[in-house]
Parts: sequence; structure tokens; C-alpha cells
Amino acid sequence: MTKETASALVVGGGVAGMQAALDIANQGFKVYLIERSPSIGGRMAMLDKTFPTLDCSACILTPKLSEVSRHPNIKLMTLSEIGSVSGTAGNFKVKIRRKARYVREDLCSGCGDCEANCPVEVPNEFDQGLGFRKAIFTPFPQATPNVYTVDKESCTDCGRCVKVCERGAINMDMKDKFVTLNVSTIVVATGFELFDVTQYPRLGYGQYPNVINAMEFERLINAAGPTHGHLVRLSDGKKPKSIGFIQCVGARDVQKGVPYCSRVCCMYSIKNAVMALEHDPEAEVWVYYADIRAFGKGFEEFYEMAKSRFGVRFIRGRVAEVMEGKATHDLVVKVEDTNTSKVRLIEHDLVVISPGVVPSTGMDTMAKKLGIEQTDDGYVEINHSFFGPILTKTPGVFVCGCADGPKDIPDSVSAGSAAAMKATIILSQGGT
Amino acid sequence: MSGSEEEPRIGVFVCHCGHNIAGTVDVESVSEMAMKLPGVVYATDEMFMCSDAGQMLIREKIEEKKLNRVVVASCSPRMHEPTFRRVVEEAGLNRYLFDQVNLREHVSWCHMREPELATEKAKDLVRMSVARAAKLENLPIKKVSVLPTTMVVGGGIAGLRASLDIAERGFDVLLVEKDKNLGGNVAKWTHLFPSDESGADVIKPLIRDVKKHDRITILTNSKVSEFDGYIGNFGVTVKNLKTEKEQKYEVGTVIVATGFEPFKPEGYYAYGESPDILTLAELQELPPSEQLLKPSDGKPVKKVVFIGCVGSREPGVKGHEHCSRHCCSATAKAASDLRDSVDEVLVLYQDIRTYGKGHEEFHRMARQKHVIYSKFPQQAHPEVTVTKSKIKMKWHDVLADEDLEFEPDLVVLATAMIPPEDVEQTTHMFSLTRSGDGFFNPEHIKLAPLTTHTAGVMIAGAAQAAKNASEAVIDASGAAAKAVGLMAQGEVEIESTVSHVIPELCSSCHTCLTACPYGAIIMDETKDPPIAFVTEAKCHGCGTCAAACPSSAIVMYHSTDDQILTMVEAFLCPTTEAEGGGSA
Repeated sequence: MTKETASALVVGGGVAGMQAALDIANQGFKVYLIERSPSIGGRMAMLDKTFPTLDCSACILTPKLSEVSRHPNIKLMTLSEIGSVSGTAGNFKVKIRRKARYVREDLCSGCGDCEANCPVEVPNEFDQGLGFRKAIFTPFPQATPNVYTVDKESCTDCGRCVKVCERGAINMDMKDKFVTLNVSTIVVATGFELFDVTQYPRLGYGQYPNVINAMEFERLINAAGPTHGHLVRLSDGKKPKSIGFIQCVGARDVQKGVPYCSRVCCMYSIKNAVMALEHDPEAEVWVYYADIRAFGKGFEEFYEMAKSRFGVRFIRGRVAEVMEGKATHDLVVKVEDTNTSKVRLIEHDLVVISPGVVPSTGMDTMAKKLGIEQTDDGYVEINHSFFGPILTKTPGVFVCGCADGPKDIPDSVSAGSAAAMKATIILSQGGT
Repeated sequence: MSGSEEEPRIGVFVCHCGHNIAGTVDVESVSEMAMKLPGVVYATDEMFMCSDAGQMLIREKIEEKKLNRVVVASCSPRMHEPTFRRVVEEAGLNRYLFDQVNLREHVSWCHMREPELATEKAKDLVRMSVARAAKLENLPIKKVSVLPTTMVVGGGIAGLRASLDIAERGFDVLLVEKDKNLGGNVAKWTHLFPSDESGADVIKPLIRDVKKHDRITILTNSKVSEFDGYIGNFGVTVKNLKTEKEQKYEVGTVIVATGFEPFKPEGYYAYGESPDILTLAELQELPPSEQLLKPSDGKPVKKVVFIGCVGSREPGVKGHEHCSRHCCSATAKAASDLRDSVDEVLVLYQDIRTYGKGHEEFHRMARQKHVIYSKFPQQAHPEVTVTKSKIKMKWHDVLADEDLEFEPDLVVLATAMIPPEDVEQTTHMFSLTRSGDGFFNPEHIKLAPLTTHTAGVMIAGAAQAAKNASEAVIDASGAAAKAVGLMAQGEVEIESTVSHVIPELCSSCHTCLTACPYGAIIMDETKDPPIAFVTEAKCHGCGTCAAACPSSAIVMYHSTDDQILTMVEAFLCPTTEAEGGGSA
């Protein structure tokens, strides 16, 4: 196999997968980047600001999105999933299922005429269901590729979009397609999901409208989000004056099958607490935690700043219960402050639960198809923490980002580059 | 420079940035004002200029309206200047015929509560940018070649991994290590917490492979003594510390993997007053034995105390404010292991940060083995006193709200990771910068953790921040990918926004040479009299030389005096036909 034909497959278009794809492509090798949702960008695209510098997430991410979509060596396939895999390192055959988009990528210009004429409104997954989108949609304004997608389950087949599309890009008869790729190496960057916090009924999520999760909070404070960045209560649209953040929900909990630390929740909550105060300096913000794990570069300094400059209050203790006043929908958090050994009842207008991180859905089936091993937690098992923290137990298949365990953005980016290095060693040897 | 002589036809694109700008600034009135400015033939506002739709709009309008200058009023150029430069280039314009106005960081975000004044300021800035745009000139796009060799500085676990990856990928490596042996800190540890291997188990096979590889040249007992040149073409002088001999090399890229030093906690917890008070690193270096023995008298240790955060997490103490990341997990593993042969093991901590893969499990195992964890307050650290040969400890346990005392046989201090002693030298050598933790700053803390502001110089491992060996290994492979990316392309574009000396005006005074912080200016001795000469690939375009030159002999491309003064003029005297903004 020559350099011209040696190519890599990257599975997952979040920040780790994009970095891996770019670093492979920049060495002159061909990369197929597959992503199961309509756009690359992953979870990072949904975040408002990022810790510890409070950079706007979308702003620092969009240059990477464009870089990936314009790179001559990267073939981007969205709405695509692995069908089956055969072969070994240097010579994998991967069957890809390309789901019907019902819009032709080569014709759609992203003008939005279709969307304006679509009569169907459904909750927008990108906004965590807090805002609405049409049945023909792009998940977010910087979505890459910038083409529309028809959500066939919500579509009523009214045909208006087909009629208004000047380019004739919409085709409701489109069928799923299968393509087979020959690749020398595979990088798994399938990311994570957030723990389903309804598993803790005592915390009230799903029962009380003013108990939300951290990703919902991100969308509520985001200027491009459903409220244009106005932080409001879902029960009555009022500005919350007192907010409580609950940590370690679906993390460090053996009973719930998540014995490990999710690494990012302490920092994203401190960041969210700071952002809440940026939005309303008069608000009172409390964080209920077990240990504050501010271990990355600049993290401890950020935590100190949250305490000293912003006045975020930290209470050490696992929250026992969240209660709701029926008429007001105001909330009361019951917690033992373990630093003073006192049980406290603290009133809040809004409670934000910080869910832990779990492997992405479909990890088990994908791992089976790829023949890679998993840990008890369900993540991809790495070969060795010192000799092969990027290697899986299957030669030629590498892993980066949250696919092998929770990671923050810089660690995911670093791992993405590292996976690219390992992949290109195989590619440079002509694929064997 | 080559002129863009034709009449300026300027397009102005004002970005809403969702609600970020449009929520404060009246973007429509800014674009209406812009439309009336001299030279402007098109102005509009758009939801997201950086999105594909926004980019396509610029390209379409360049063609349709025959634009030859583009102004985008959006966010800081730091992120999106490259995006928009590429867009105008794709539409056939020179990338330097683009100008960006920062309406977000400089206007909407900092004047959120004064929307009217913010809109005035936005108009001022756009008016200035349009005036400047009319004076922008084509600049050539230049490339330099990249030599296919990487110099790796530091032969610890990160340096070794990076060297091996690059060599296996087919490029040459020059590995420079100041110590007489390769292996760094990891090699010294008989217990590599949190793993069951010893440091030697991990490092030996790496050293063996590095030594065997014929693409890797190893220089031990050596330090870089001189470093110059620019991305792709660095000149390096390496000095052998024993023989004092110097040797010159040429390399295309550099990876700085100079690691860390365990903090020596002089003045903390009676360290140095008893041989039985040692650091975690010193514990890790003890010879392996069935039974842990007291360094003082060789008797078996029965009671041991670990103290966390020694020299870490001290707000206001320079170089010690950061969390050292590795110590909590290493302590949990060490405590759990030692509990098998020691009667009592205590861990005094502030927070338990066992965040990594499998680390929480060590912590849980330690507790299951009845290792006692006791939380002390941030404001009142434990007290350790040594009387005769006895160690006494007192501290306040936060969770029990009780004062406790203990007489351990051995005290282990989990000390901070700090930069090596000679970090300042390394910083200057490679024109790097450092953050509050004392370690090197990456190019971007989130999205470019492995590259630096010196193009062609990467950082890896604990040189960048405190981290454990596994994380250092990942970084090393990542930094290797960055180096190889440059070398595989073989050439790289350099900025054209550099300074230029007009030979006829240069008075050979040398002022610019001393002013330049990057060593980019030399005297061209072939001329008589010698005149200043700028090495463009080294120039960062900061303009210090131009400001210092007493003869006005230095031109800053893309920031010429004319371009800057035009902006000042536009700010002070808005033309009558465009009375938008300003109070003049």
C-alpha cells in the first residue's frame, strides 16, 4: 500500500476526533472522519464558556470546525456509523452505514428557506430540549457541514420545504447507504454521555421544574441558546437569586455503577457558578461538593478566584434531598455540612445538578464490531498506562478523548494528537 | 510593496455573534453607518460571520460587488483572523486586504450595561477600520523549508517517548539530556505509584529502544548552550557539561520536555530535622524491601503518616498556588500498599483528588484496608515537632471537629511538582513564557496545549504543568505529532506582517538591534556602511524596532505609519457624509 492510498478512519467528530483527524491529515494522509449526528463539534459545541479561562466555547471551536471541513485530506461523513469491521492493522475493511439525510449535501447551501417554511416544531436536542427546532434543521448556527437534515420521525411530509428549495436539494425518498472503506488504522474518539440524573429521585430532577442539569444550564446562559443567554427559572421565567450546584451525581458512587471520578464536574460547576455571578452579581451561589478536584493547569487558581473574587460559597457534603414548595416552585436543599457537622436546609430558586460522565451510547456494540476490549466501567480498555495509554488491546486501533475515560478539553486534545502520532506511524509504513 | 492601486471598494460585515454583540450593540445602525463611509460599496449585518453561511456571504459579495477590501466587525482577531483571511483569499483577494474590528471583547462584553455608548464606540471602531482598509496593501505569501530533524530537550519519560515516536515515523531525532543517564525522575522510583511497576520496569525498555534506534542521536551530560534561527531552520549549539566541548546542529523542530523537580520542603513540617521525615519522592526512591524500615535506625516502621499538599495549593505563595495533580493518587496507592506491612497508616489531606483512571479505586482500597484519612483545614496545617528521636504531630480534624495527636515512626510529605532549577534558562533559550505555576505556557490552554508561541517549539509532559507519567506519555506522542506534521509538510508559511529596513535611510546606529526582543535584526556587514537587516522568519511584527529607529528607516508591513495615522484621523474627524458615532 502506498502513501497515496494509505488512509485512516477516525470515529467520532468531537474535539478529540477532530484533532486526531487534523494531525493525521496534516502529515499528508487521507482521513475518513465519521460522526453519527448531523454535525461535527461534539459536546464542546454545546458549552457556553470553558474553564479555567472562560473562553467562549463555540468561538474557539469554530476555527477547528472549518479547518476540518476544508481540509483536502479529510473526508467528512456525518450521520454515519460503523456497520461492520474486518481485517487487521494495516488492512481494515470497514462497512459504514450512511443514514439518509433527505437533503443532498452537494446541493444544499444552508440558506434556511426550508426551515422558514417548515410547520413542524419539536424540542431541540442541541438545546437539551429547552428550545425548539423545525423538522428540517441544522443543530446550531456553525454546524459543519452547513447543510440541513430532515428529522423523518417528526416530519409530516407536507412537502413545503421541497417546494421552496431553489436548489432542489431535498429528496424525501433518500435511503440509507452503505460504503466500504479500506483503512490502515482506526482511531476511536466516541466521547461520552452525561449520567441520567433521574436515577437519583431524591434530588428532584424531572419532578421539579427548577431542578436542571449542568448541560441545560450551559444552554440557558448561552447567548445563542433558547433564552438568548438570560438565565431564568423554567417554572416562571424569573431570574434566580439563589442557585445551588450539586456535585458528584452519578460519579464516585459504587451503588450506581459509576465508582470513578468524572474529572470535569468540579471545574465545570465552578465555572458555571462564576458565570451565574457574572450574569447577576447580586445572586447567591452555593456549590455542594465532596472534594473539589481542581487538578489541571490553572484550575486551583480558578477555584481560589471563584471563592475570593466572586464569593461562590462551597459546602462540603453530599446533598440528602431537594424539596419543593408546591405553590412557589422554590427549592430547599437538605445537606449535612461535614465541615461543621451540621444538617442545613438552604433555600434556592434554582438547583443545578452536575452529572457525571458515562461511556457513549452504543459503545458496547461498537467495541464488539471493532474487536476492542472494554473496562468494567464500559470505557475502551487501554493497552498499558505507560507503554500504551493511547493503544487499545487490538493492534492498529487507537483511542483518545473520553472514549477511554472522562477527560477535560486539553487532555482530550492532547490525546487526539497522540492518537494521530500512533496512527501515522502505521500509515508511514505503508499500512502494514 | 506591490500596490493595490485601484480605487478601494470596501465591504463591511457586522456580526451579531448570536446575542453576544447584537444584545448590546445596535448592529443594524452600525452597518447603516458603514454604508455611508468613503470607499464602502457594501455593508450588512449577519448572525454569525464565522459560520459557513457568513463565510459564503463574504465570498459571494466579493465577487458580486467587486470588493477589493473586506472589513469584518466581530470578535477578537486572535481566533478568527485566520478564518477570514482564508475566506478572502479563496475569493481571490490577497489575505492582507482584510481587516477585523473587535466588537465583542472590546465593545459588547465590556460595555454590556451601556448599550448606546457601546454602539457609538462600535461605530468609531468600524469607521477607523474602514479608513485603514483603504490603505491596506498586498503582501507576498512566503514559505520556509523545514529540516527533517527534531531536537528533544530532556530524556525523561516524555522525551524518550517523543523521540521514539518521531524516529519510528521516519524522522531524525537529536535527544539532549543534561544528566549522565536517560530516564529522568521516573527511573529513580522503585515504586511508580499509582501502578504496580517500578520506575525502572517502565523506563528500561524505553531507553533500550531509544538507544537501539539508528535515527536517534543521544547526547547525555549535555545542555543546549545556544539556540537561534526560526521555525524549520533552528541552529543549535550543544555543550557537553563534562568536556565543555560545543557542537553545532541544525534542526527543524524542537520539543521541550524538561520535566519537573520534586519540591524540597525546607521549613515545612520539620523536614530535615529527622531522617524519618521524608518526601514522597524520597520514599519512592527507597530500596525495595519486604518491610519498610526507618531511615534513622533501621527498625521496622509501624506507624506512618502522609501529609498532602506540601508546597501546593498555597494561595498567594508564588510558584506554589497550583495543585500538583499526581500526589493524591500516588499517596492513596502508597498508603494502601504500605498498610499490608505497617500497623497504622494515616493520610492527612485537604481534598482527595483521585481523579484518574483507577485512582478512585486505590483510594477506596486504602480505606477498605483501614488507612485512616483525616481532613485538616486549609488555614491551619498540621504541626510536626521532633524531640530527641521522637516525632510528634498535632492537627485539627475537620470532619470530627477534634484536635488530634499522633506519634508516627515515619512522616511522608507529598510535595509539589515545581519546575527544574534551570527553568529560567530554558525559558529564555527558546523564547517561551511561563504561567503562575512556573511551568511553560502552551499556545492555547484549551485547544493548543502542546505548541507554544515560538513557532516550531513544542512542549510535552511535566514541562507544561504538573502531571503523572501516563499523562506525560500521552503529551509526548501528541507533541511528536505536531513536530512530524511540520516536517512531513516540508515547508511552512510565515507571516508577512514583519518589519523592513529602508537601506537608504539606515544610519547604522544599531538601536533596532538592541530593541528587538527576538534577535531578528542583524547588521549586514557586506554593505558599507553596514545596514540593519531583518530576518523575516524570526520577526514577530511587534514594531518595537520601528518605534525605536531614530531615522524612521523601518517600515512595519501591515501597520505602516500611514495606515495607523489614517485611523487616528478617522477617529478624530468623522467625515460629514458619515456622521455616525463620535461626538465630533
